[in-house]
Amino acid sequence: MFKDARDFQILALFLFLTLGLGTRDWTLRPDLILVTIATCLLTQWLATQISAKFSAPPSDSPTFSPRSALITSLGLCLLLRADHWWTVTIAACLAILSKFVFRFKEKHCFNPANFGMIAALLLTGDAWVSPGQWGADWWYALLFFGIGGLILQRVGRWDTTAAFFGSYALLEAGRNFWLGWTWDVYLHKLMSGSLLLFALFMVTDPRSIPNARTGRFVWAVMIALLTFILRNYFYVSTAILWALFVLSPLTIALDILWPAPRFRWTATVTESEPESAPTPTPAFL
Amino acid sequence: MKPLQTLASLVLAFWVTFSFIQPAWAFCGFYVAKADTKLYNKASQVAIARDGKRTILTMENDYQGDVKDFAIVVPVPVLLKEEQVRVGDPKIMERLDSFSAPRLVEYFDSNPCDVVMADQLLLAAPSSASTGEAMNQAAQRRDALGVTVEAKFTVGEYDILLLSAKESGGLETWLIQNGYKMPPGARQLLQPYIRQQMKFFVAKVNLTEFDKSGFQSLRPLMIAYESPKFMLPIRLGMMNAQTDQDLIVYLLSPKGQIELTNYRTVKVPSDVEIPEFVKGEFGPFYQAMFQTAYTREDRRVGFLEYAWDMAGCDPCSADPLNYEELRKAGVFWLSPNQPTNVFITRLHVRYSRDKFPEDLMFQETSNRQQFQGRYILQHPYTGEMTCSAARDYKRSVRQRVERQVQTLAKLTGWNIQEIRKKARVADSEPEPWWERAFSSTFLGRMVDWWRS
Repeated sequence: MFKDARDFQILALFLFLTLGLGTRDWTLRPDLILVTIATCLLTQWLATQISAKFSAPPSDSPTFSPRSALITSLGLCLLLRADHWWTVTIAACLAILSKFVFRFKEKHCFNPANFGMIAALLLTGDAWVSPGQWGADWWYALLFFGIGGLILQRVGRWDTTAAFFGSYALLEAGRNFWLGWTWDVYLHKLMSGSLLLFALFMVTDPRSIPNARTGRFVWAVMIALLTFILRNYFYVSTAILWALFVLSPLTIALDILWPAPRFRWTATVTESEPESAPTPTPAFL
Repeated sequence: MKPLQTLASLVLAFWVTFSFIQPAWAFCGFYVAKADTKLYNKASQVAIARDGKRTILTMENDYQGDVKDFAIVVPVPVLLKEEQVRVGDPKIMERLDSFSAPRLVEYFDSNPCDVVMADQLLLAAPSSASTGEAMNQAAQRRDALGVTVEAKFTVGEYDILLLSAKESGGLETWLIQNGYKMPPGARQLLQPYIRQQMKFFVAKVNLTEFDKSGFQSLRPLMIAYESPKFMLPIRLGMMNAQTDQDLIVYLLSPKGQIELTNYRTVKVPSDVEIPEFVKGEFGPFYQAMFQTAYTREDRRVGFLEYAWDMAGCDPCSADPLNYEELRKAGVFWLSPNQPTNVFITRLHVRYSRDKFPEDLMFQETSNRQQFQGRYILQHPYTGEMTCSAARDYKRSVRQRVERQVQTLAKLTGWNIQEIRKKARVADSEPEPWWERAFSSTFLGRMVDWWRS
């Protein structure tokens, strides 16, 4: 237990879910949580079996990974809300399937949980995301940074969070200054629990982001810019999710532009790997 | 930059009011003027009917001063034409308020000796917010200040002006020159709105039209616009506010609940049993309970007081609004003889400068979970009871009252001893000490058997 960094990830997400249910006024239904988790695990198992059957040579076939499915399902539970069980079933199912269908050189084109959420928002008309659900309390910010930091240290993806959050903070600061708002408006925007959760746990998924540090930096800055534009000029409350969804496939191009060894969950990392090569790390939302 | 500027110019409405008489600003410029029968001292009421990007916004106007002193200034995202401005039905906010208000429900225990139990349900609902207000006078074209009078028309008893401004200093000067008393700091706060290409909607009372209308008070102002931005400005209203301010927003949507996106939306405590005596002081109870919940949430959340499909209600604190009334409340997507497709969300936001730095941003969701602020009075049976079950019943009533006392103390922060004293008055017959001592013993059971 806890040899795999993903276990920490699961524990952290489970903690956030419990904390959210216990201390925030969430309209989250236990039956939908169970449906989400069960669907994710089942889809992961089925998809693994099917792809194992058709893959050649057999050594390349994927193995069933309940950790990854669990992380995706917890991510969906934390962020996605719906009235009906079939909505979360669609979201969970498509989230897991996106890993098997949209892949390029063994990398995911989309963050699975992000894909599931966008699919539910687009296809069902019954799903929603509540960006205000965490509020903007400083102690949540500390908690997210603390736990996120611990995990990101193992992942080696602090650069992505720093690039995203730094550039987004700069853009918002510029706008705040230009408009002439007081700085507490700015701080309130940046302290949003949902924004921090995204910056620390979703944008850093090592399986769906560029391999090279430069690529990750460029990619994170682009997401920050698109989020900023969608939020402030198109008034999209879920701007951050759309920005990640739209720009995720760009990872392929960025990996070609700045090549680096691909991320592996269980690979033995050697000392000789370049700095940008990841160490064994958790899957993310 | 042009597309960005065009988009920025679509930014929706903020409101601002200035006054000759008092340099106080409130949301939409409305202040409470009648605190006698109303629950909150400082409250504004706004109804927003929204489908997609189309919005009809109604600002309740309960101004109690001399109408010639009234004026309101509302920044809007686009230039409004005469047809986009209307005066509303003065009764409509009251209807929305009474339909969605937190409610007290009464149930009566039946005789425990009867086999059939029956409930009776009564309702009492507190009234809520209100407002009061300010004024203005002339408006002229002053190019030198960068302020342009874009349009000028009369709607009902109001003279309307639409202004555009190039910079906040010019607008402030223009307003001062035109008789508005500007609070300190206005210039800094106007700037963000001007930089987002807002236009300013100014309304003052046309006394001739007002006299002709025959109304005793000013009617609500309604504006219709199309914008992707779904928000309400509160910053300007807090400019020189000394205390917290209450805002009740009735959000009407064909889809489902509407929630805040930049603050938490929290349900008010609901579905709790409280002692009988609260019936006589429901207003103070609700205020104390709201204040306790507000403090517990660190004064930084919006409270959900009601969320319901307007086709019905259960229990109803007022009749559901009919087609005509919904139209008057700004619901524009309904057709006659079609099923009512309106979901109402009543948000109660008590805001202060230190905890609400940003204007309120909203989003429509497909959440159709219904919720109401509902407080229950369970009256014990007081008639003659002639059976052994009566003793157990009385004991259970005493335990129930104690639970209610504790609930009330927790919800309101009131002194538990005083609550107990008041609750005991209703429950005048205290439990004999020996009953508790004997209740679980063999002797006690023998006594029960003997009595029966």
